[in-house]
Amino acid sequence: MKKARSIKKPGVNIDMTPLVDVIMLLLTFFMLVATFKVESTEAIEVKLPESAVTDTTRLPEKDIMTMTLTKSGDVFLDVDNYRVKEIVFGNANGIGLFHPDSTSKSEYELTGKIGGKNLNRKVSILNKAQFEKALTDLRVALKNETGGKSDFRIVIKGDTDTDYGIVEDLMDIFKATRNTRFALVTDIRSDKPE
Amino acid sequence: MAGGGGFDAPETGSGLHKQKKYKKGKKVGVRIDMTPMVDVIMLLLTFFILTTTLNTPQIMQINLPKGDESDKVKVDMGDVLYIRVSETGNIYFSKGLSDGSEAPPEKHNFNDIKTKIESYYAQNPKLLILLKFDRKMKYNTMVDILDEINKAAIEKRYSFMKMEDPDKEIVKNAGG
Repeated sequence: MKKARSIKKPGVNIDMTPLVDVIMLLLTFFMLVATFKVESTEAIEVKLPESAVTDTTRLPEKDIMTMTLTKSGDVFLDVDNYRVKEIVFGNANGIGLFHPDSTSKSEYELTGKIGGKNLNRKVSILNKAQFEKALTDLRVALKNETGGKSDFRIVIKGDTDTDYGIVEDLMDIFKATRNTRFALVTDIRSDKPE
Repeated sequence: MAGGGGFDAPETGSGLHKQKKYKKGKKVGVRIDMTPMVDVIMLLLTFFILTTTLNTPQIMQINLPKGDESDKVKVDMGDVLYIRVSETGNIYFSKGLSDGSEAPPEKHNFNDIKTKIESYYAQNPKLLILLKFDRKMKYNTMVDILDEINKAAIEKRYSFMKMEDPDKEIVKNAGG
């Protein structure tokens, strides 16, 4: 009896290898996603405002036209489609820069840096007319690329310390170029003041 | 091996017997306990899941009027509530009156504006909020105020208007 038991015992072990395999896969997936996000936002750093609204939707996954507003009042125009960027900016890694406020100078144009950081991308400096044209061109280029199936959604990623005037100028431009739908990117407010 | 079968036979036999026993015994010992490894990986996994979901930003949708400047909508001044915000972020409410004028501005604390807007809505469900923000105001304040309006209003009706000199005058006279 004793001998039989001691032989049976090892058979109870569960093989954990498939479990470990699956977990490893999930782990690599989440690690990649996490690092990817950090990299993409690293270039231009903005502190997003917080909002607690319950009906806000999540940021769409693709076809986003991002306007990043920095503290100094620079507007960076970027899209998530490399082919479209190649067509409009002439460089797959290009980015548009527009400084709406005529009373101040663009931080990037003065120092070549954003928030003390280098921007390792080809920057096309746009004036108001060129910026308006770029808005239309980007949308047309995406429509041509996808056969009219998709269209960009405009999102504004503003720094908390950006002047409202910049947003007002952008809204005027949106109205003039008939981009009447846009969204403001916010962080979820952690403590809800009731 | 077939040639030396006769000579080797007894030794191989006993060896085989010994090996069988040996193998059976060792097989059990070779198993590595994966539990600590799984524990660590699980921890890492939860860490990465949590950090990635926390980072996903949300968006606040805003729709601008589609029409041209020519097809303006006429609104009864009695339905209008002006919210003016000064450069320093002070919030002033003034209710439009049916005769076309507007009530003198009242200064409100940021914490009170949600309940204030709610009470205005209770009085007049057709309320239209006109936002006049100073250009030098911070973007953060704009998002905060929109957030409060979204929280308070059942049917969100607000428009952005430019802060003109008369508005600045009103704000200045009310305390800046």
